[in-house]
Amino acid sequence: MNRDSRATVVFNRAGLILSRSGWTLGVWLLLLALLIWYANLIPRFGEFQITSISKNSLPLVYLALGQAIIVIAGGIDLSLGALLLLSNAIAARFMADQPFGAVLVIALLLIGLVAFLNGMTGYVIRLSGVPDIVVTLATSYIWSGLALWILPSPGGGTAPEFRWLFTGSESGIGGTYVLPVLMMIIPATVVFLLSRRTRLGLSMYAVGSDSNIASLAGLGVTRAKVASYALGGALAALAGLATVAITGTGDPRFSVGANATLNSVAAVVLGGIALTGGTGLVLGVVAAGMILIMLNPILSAMGINPNNAQILQGVLIAIVMMIGGLVTLIRERRT
Amino acid sequence: MVDSAAATTVRARLAAKARANPSVALGGVCLLLVLVTGFIEPEYLSLNGARSSLLQAAPLGILAGAQTILMLTGGIDLSVTMIATGSAYVAASQSSHGAAVAILMGVAVGLVVGAANGIGVAVFRVNPLIMTLAMSGIMLGTFTAWTQTILRGSTQVAPFIKELAAGSFLGNRLPYSVVLWAVISLILIWLLRRTGWGRLLYAVGDNETAVRLAGVRTWQVRIAAYIAAGILGSIAGILLAGRTGAVDLQLANAFLLPSVAAAVIGGTSIFGGVGGYTGTILGALILSVLTSMLTFLNVGQDIQQLVYGTIVLALAWGYAGLANRE
Amino acid sequence: MNRPSPLLTISGVAKAYGSVVALAAVDMTVRRHEIHALLGANGAGKSTLVRILAGVHPADRGTLEVEGKTANFRTPVEAMRGGMATVFQDPALIRDLTIAQNLRLSRTDPATFEQWLEEFDLGSLDRDRMVRDLPLDILRLVDLARALALNPKILLLDEITAALTADQAEKLFELLDRLKTEGCSVVLITHRLAEVMRICDTATILRDGCNVAELEVGGITQQELVHAMLGSPVDLAPDTQAGTTAPTTAGAETVFAVEELASGEAVRQVSFAVRRGEVLGLVALEGQGQERVFDILCGERRPSAGRILVDGSPCRFLSPADAVRQGVVLIPGDRLQALLPSLPVYQNLVVTLITRIRQWLGLPADERARAANAIDSLSIDTRAAARVRRLSGGNQQKVAIGRWLVSGFRTLLCFDPTRGIDIQTKGEIYALLRKLAADGAAVLLYTSELAEIPLVCDRVLVMHNGLIVDEQAAAQATEASLLTAAHGLV
Repeated sequence: MNRDSRATVVFNRAGLILSRSGWTLGVWLLLLALLIWYANLIPRFGEFQITSISKNSLPLVYLALGQAIIVIAGGIDLSLGALLLLSNAIAARFMADQPFGAVLVIALLLIGLVAFLNGMTGYVIRLSGVPDIVVTLATSYIWSGLALWILPSPGGGTAPEFRWLFTGSESGIGGTYVLPVLMMIIPATVVFLLSRRTRLGLSMYAVGSDSNIASLAGLGVTRAKVASYALGGALAALAGLATVAITGTGDPRFSVGANATLNSVAAVVLGGIALTGGTGLVLGVVAAGMILIMLNPILSAMGINPNNAQILQGVLIAIVMMIGGLVTLIRERRT
Repeated sequence: MVDSAAATTVRARLAAKARANPSVALGGVCLLLVLVTGFIEPEYLSLNGARSSLLQAAPLGILAGAQTILMLTGGIDLSVTMIATGSAYVAASQSSHGAAVAILMGVAVGLVVGAANGIGVAVFRVNPLIMTLAMSGIMLGTFTAWTQTILRGSTQVAPFIKELAAGSFLGNRLPYSVVLWAVISLILIWLLRRTGWGRLLYAVGDNETAVRLAGVRTWQVRIAAYIAAGILGSIAGILLAGRTGAVDLQLANAFLLPSVAAAVIGGTSIFGGVGGYTGTILGALILSVLTSMLTFLNVGQDIQQLVYGTIVLALAWGYAGLANRE
Repeated sequence: MNRPSPLLTISGVAKAYGSVVALAAVDMTVRRHEIHALLGANGAGKSTLVRILAGVHPADRGTLEVEGKTANFRTPVEAMRGGMATVFQDPALIRDLTIAQNLRLSRTDPATFEQWLEEFDLGSLDRDRMVRDLPLDILRLVDLARALALNPKILLLDEITAALTADQAEKLFELLDRLKTEGCSVVLITHRLAEVMRICDTATILRDGCNVAELEVGGITQQELVHAMLGSPVDLAPDTQAGTTAPTTAGAETVFAVEELASGEAVRQVSFAVRRGEVLGLVALEGQGQERVFDILCGERRPSAGRILVDGSPCRFLSPADAVRQGVVLIPGDRLQALLPSLPVYQNLVVTLITRIRQWLGLPADERARAANAIDSLSIDTRAAARVRRLSGGNQQKVAIGRWLVSGFRTLLCFDPTRGIDIQTKGEIYALLRKLAADGAAVLLYTSELAEIPLVCDRVLVMHNGLIVDEQAAAQATEASLLTAAHGLV
């Protein structure tokens, strides 16, 4: 009897966790299914493909993680792509022909700088009362203007060891998959633990869920907001660094940043984080980012015009969201 | 002491005036920008200068009208520039069938895509940001594929559309496209202020539950709003195509963020329920004058973007400051 | 008599939001070992005072002193450190987090929290439950336990009994009595005067942002409290007495009826009929399925079984629009569900006139006259008419009712229309409901205040556990007879 009830408790707990992280699990299963499909599509599936998929996903995964944290805290950041450009431009301009040690120092400084800049953006949003979407729309122009000013045309470079750090190869071609996978797992784990296991992380969820109640409960709303934007900025800087490591150069074109922003929002939503804030786990976003990147090689492996990847990506997001909407609708009707 | 007290009351009175009628404050900003631009380039303060700014502002103003309608309902349309581009493509490809068919087919694109957006948002309750973002991706992919197949080679625009977009009345003084914008503006202002649908747009944006409980089928209101936005996007796209004389997939891209910015500067709340098209017109004019100014200053793309972003932020902040003090 | 020393002293506290003065000047003293009631009509400034005491908003003027030391709190955290613990009207718990996470965020000591929770027999509550999944009464108790775990000098309770069951409230009162002897004073805000008479020692009464009286509860009657709150004696009973009209409605035709309505576990079987000219009351304890019944009747939700009949013919309501077209309209329990907060009174009133697509391209010609009529007959205070958000609660409720006066209706569903509304407006609403019925409408009124039943209704149904368990003639119904039935003891 007693054992029975304990089993029930364990069972209920498992059910609870499953129902709460069901979406996250679903996205990972979708990614797994796509990987298996892809592996069967191409003649040889090996280390090269794993390396290529994981390293090409890095910038979007970082950016989506940053967007996820900001969305969880009740905001949305349309300037993340521009921050990626800025970090990419600064890195390419100042890392060129530098030794690895100096490159690492530059990288760390850059992460700090961009985190500070975006933290300021968060502060301005709180101070001014202007909606997040408007402020970050404006700052996206400012940052991409700055990026263009620092690096007027594509170029620059970085140390080979730095490229190896993100891509597993000093030339950016082939190489080991261990490094890109690690570079994905480590930041994702850090961000996940920070968001669920620390008081600061929980306060971000609280502020995103209901900032009035959060402040009644004595939480620092401004602090949580600024911290989420700063963390988002740091991850955007990391995305810029990954870009310079993968491509070996800097590219300050405005459209690159704008696309990256939109993809990050798409990955966040696909990853199960509601744009209304306060819910969702950042782990789903990692898989969602990789899914969006994987559509391209899958389609080319199927011999379909890669332009259709764009259509498929759009259709996928629209359908998933429509199903999500229908599910909530039905659930509301029932309870 | 007395002076500073007097200054405070004057400032308070000015602030109260600005609050009571934000359009006046916006008009002031616009005038100031025109004068600064005129100072930089005296040529600008002529009929020609005004004409070029208005020509710039017309497509932006129409696209921003689409955003205004949707923002009033608490929505947004990130696909409006892709709608514009798509409509331009279709209109160009149908040019051989005559101007009327070309324009109608172009507008049909906006109608269909707008309806799809509206159904996604209103019936399936997809977040508008996501729905229109996905739609934009779908359209970009579709049209990229079509440019290589069914739309191949159809990048030239019918003469009538060129004339509409770039031609003028009265010996090159009054561009047709500006007249078209004025007509659209009047219709939009009438719709928003003097019709039941306009009233419902505000009401749905303010509190959808209350409107639904009042017996309104709110999904109809929303779908109609997305269709209207789609049609406005199509018109803007056809004008842009006529102005440049040719179409490509980047045709309207650069207008996406400015279209949102113009509505925001004009005082329409992105959360819905508050705003109007008069402010948006001024917002579009301000952004166009700003672009002219930066062009005359002959600065690079980098500084242009920096200044553009700063001004948008400053205006939005100033607006929020007025609204908060209320 | 040797009175204990003051614990909290409020002097000259004032607060304005923009041009609206919420508190003009309030003086109040809370002594040790005291349960102090803070009373006043809606808009008297009670909630504002609570927010100032809790550090949510700073006061514009005036001082707070705790144990003789100045304590002008600027943030909620400062207030908590200063010995204040507040349970707000809406639980200050984050819906998207678990209880354990909420406790972690507010740095609550789990052991102390546990002890307090056990006082309410909630020791077995799973801390990993999501707040959004828990019912309101549990949340209020969790919020209370969290406040108590702060070990406060002063406990502020804003309408805490509103969502509690009778036995939960009983436990709370015992607890407050014990706290009092242990040296923690309580400030209790409530609309239920019986509670004040029962457990409070002192009452401070606010009117229009000023404290107008401080009374020793021991020496006065409930009626005197009401007089002090209103400033002048008010006749609560409407002009048309209920009961007198009952005979005429007995023969009138049925306008609205439901047969064997069911919905999941919440509503098991509900049947009733409302006649023309009748006000039918519905009474139930919290959570007996009454919300679900109203949701179904207004078209927000579909029943799993049963029929709705309008004028004798069955109808299917797929959305509120269908119900409204049949003349069945709802005044929701939550006023926010009926209002367009940033729009003017006028637009709020006339929104019911544009429910069809063919009305989109134009405006009804007579809308001005209709709106003016509604404003007139409800005597809505239109001084702050530019934004409904700025109206007082009572005026907001009038707007929520007024929008149906503008469009017209045949069956009116009212869900607790007088909740959280000052006594004066309550009286007006009673009179209005009677008048609407006299003009030929059928009215279904759910109310949580049993005293309203004999004042307004002709008949009353009692709901318990998803079933209609009793029907009484309203004129004969007493609070005792209704409560007995509401507990299922028929």
